[in-house]
Amino acid sequence: MPKDVVSVPLPRKPRPTNVIVNGTRLDGRGPEEFRPIFLSTGVIPQASGSVYAELDKTKLMVGIYGPRPSDRWHGFSEEGHLDCDVKMAPFSGGQRTKWGQSPEEREMAGLLGVAVEAGVQRSAFPKATVDVQCLVLEAGGGELAVAVAAASLALADAAIPMRDLITSCTVSRVDNQLLLDATSDEAFQEDGSVLLAMMPSLNQVTQLLVKGAWSGGELDEAIQLGMTGCAEMDGICRQVLQEAIAPP
Amino acid sequence: MGFRSDGSVLAVESCRAVLAEAPSPFQDSGFVCVGDRIETDVSEGFLRGHGTYVIDGVLYASVCGLKERVNKLISVRPLKQRYAAEIGDVVVGRVTEVAGKRWRVDLKSRQDAALMLSAVNLPGGIQRRRTMEDELNMRLVFEEGDLISAEVQSLHADGQINLQTRSSKYGRLVGGQLVEVPATLIKRQKFHFHHLEDLGVDMIVGCNGGVWVGPHDAHKSADTQDGGHGREEAVLVMPTMPSFTPQQRGKAARVANAVRVLAILYLPVHSASIQDTCQAAMQLDLGAADMLKLPFIQHLAEQEVQRRQQDEMQAD
Repeated sequence: MPKDVVSVPLPRKPRPTNVIVNGTRLDGRGPEEFRPIFLSTGVIPQASGSVYAELDKTKLMVGIYGPRPSDRWHGFSEEGHLDCDVKMAPFSGGQRTKWGQSPEEREMAGLLGVAVEAGVQRSAFPKATVDVQCLVLEAGGGELAVAVAAASLALADAAIPMRDLITSCTVSRVDNQLLLDATSDEAFQEDGSVLLAMMPSLNQVTQLLVKGAWSGGELDEAIQLGMTGCAEMDGICRQVLQEAIAPP
Repeated sequence: MGFRSDGSVLAVESCRAVLAEAPSPFQDSGFVCVGDRIETDVSEGFLRGHGTYVIDGVLYASVCGLKERVNKLISVRPLKQRYAAEIGDVVVGRVTEVAGKRWRVDLKSRQDAALMLSAVNLPGGIQRRRTMEDELNMRLVFEEGDLISAEVQSLHADGQINLQTRSSKYGRLVGGQLVEVPATLIKRQKFHFHHLEDLGVDMIVGCNGGVWVGPHDAHKSADTQDGGHGREEAVLVMPTMPSFTPQQRGKAARVANAVRVLAILYLPVHSASIQDTCQAAMQLDLGAADMLKLPFIQHLAEQEVQRRQQDEMQAD
């Protein structure tokens, strides 16, 4: 492409300033409700395991490849590696992004790795690597939380030994009101957020990311809300796996 | 998934749904999910099998799949998984690298397998120490990209797989085609090398999901029959493509497509099921290409359902 062609930036839609109107959210949800969840396994035929996840306007795909022999530079390791990679599609946000991996993508990949790795039994595949590749098709808020849940579902689909399914959700605080599973508009107005990833059957937390200033009691409340959210997500994930193996 | 030749993935899904309705050969073994607690008989005790782990004396599943119990041993078998090697398995793999004193072979497993120079028959068939010269001439035996059949000789704790081809029935495969199916579909059996006499086709059902099918090579089988001794010069000759007639190739294609159809329907792949599928196609007077089309897939699915129903009636 010639260099003198300048791409015209899309006009950015103004963000709504009031995301809570008369106690309900803009999309009509209550404060402790998820967006409609759609999960589907086995969507990438060449992958060992794969998931397409959609929470209203957040859409992403996760593919699991491997286990395959680790690259030489990893050296010998009795525990397998988990290689996480997150890619935001250039058209995923309102603005077209530049070529190459952005710092946000790198950060998300790191956080995804920490959240998922804690649940995977890495000793089951020594000297081998499992690739977790996440492609965000549309960023409508809470991409990381959806990516964690989708990645663990995809790992289960690929029959990688795990201790438990890992589910995840976000809790945002907007105008002193706690909102489960915030959209990007809500997250834009938040003054604090909590991302919680956990293994609900074992009742263990694998990732907790807190942003903003929280008082002890408030944070406690937010984590409790996150835990109920994770449990709800876990039920849905298990149903999806059950249906994938035995159609109803 | 991955089935496109008819442009109707959904229709194939409907065939699978027909199969799912049929009585399952897996009775009373329930489905468990990752992290599910597996009930165990406390008084009897239990042994932890594959796909499970223990915390504080409680057994949990670490993969999703069907629960299996053999006496005290409890394991969970996932529906699809990469090939896990066992000693003595016949495998079909591809040489990916020629390294010092060993070939690296891709078995579609968790790790590449190693075929040591000391674990192959040298051209000429004599037993002796492997010299530097042998090491330099390794490419005369197997090259990168060669398809080979081999046997799993040993497994190590770190997951390393060692192969051997120390019999003339193993070695480079030429003049046929490879069909890759999920390794979980293949059952370990007494024989993995087959000569389908009525079709004139040779078949190797590799435990790792590689099924090699080629027209019967009379010259090669003469080698095999003399017990792997003498006539080893045949191995030394660089791969000359045996010449086969179109009819012979057509028959091999028929067998290969039978394997593909079984994989599409996720049915077990072994010599009996492959031969049955070929026969079913022959009865319907279908060509090799028609075996991958929807009517035949539907026919097979219905046949399988009938068979299972009969089995169930007999069991009652």
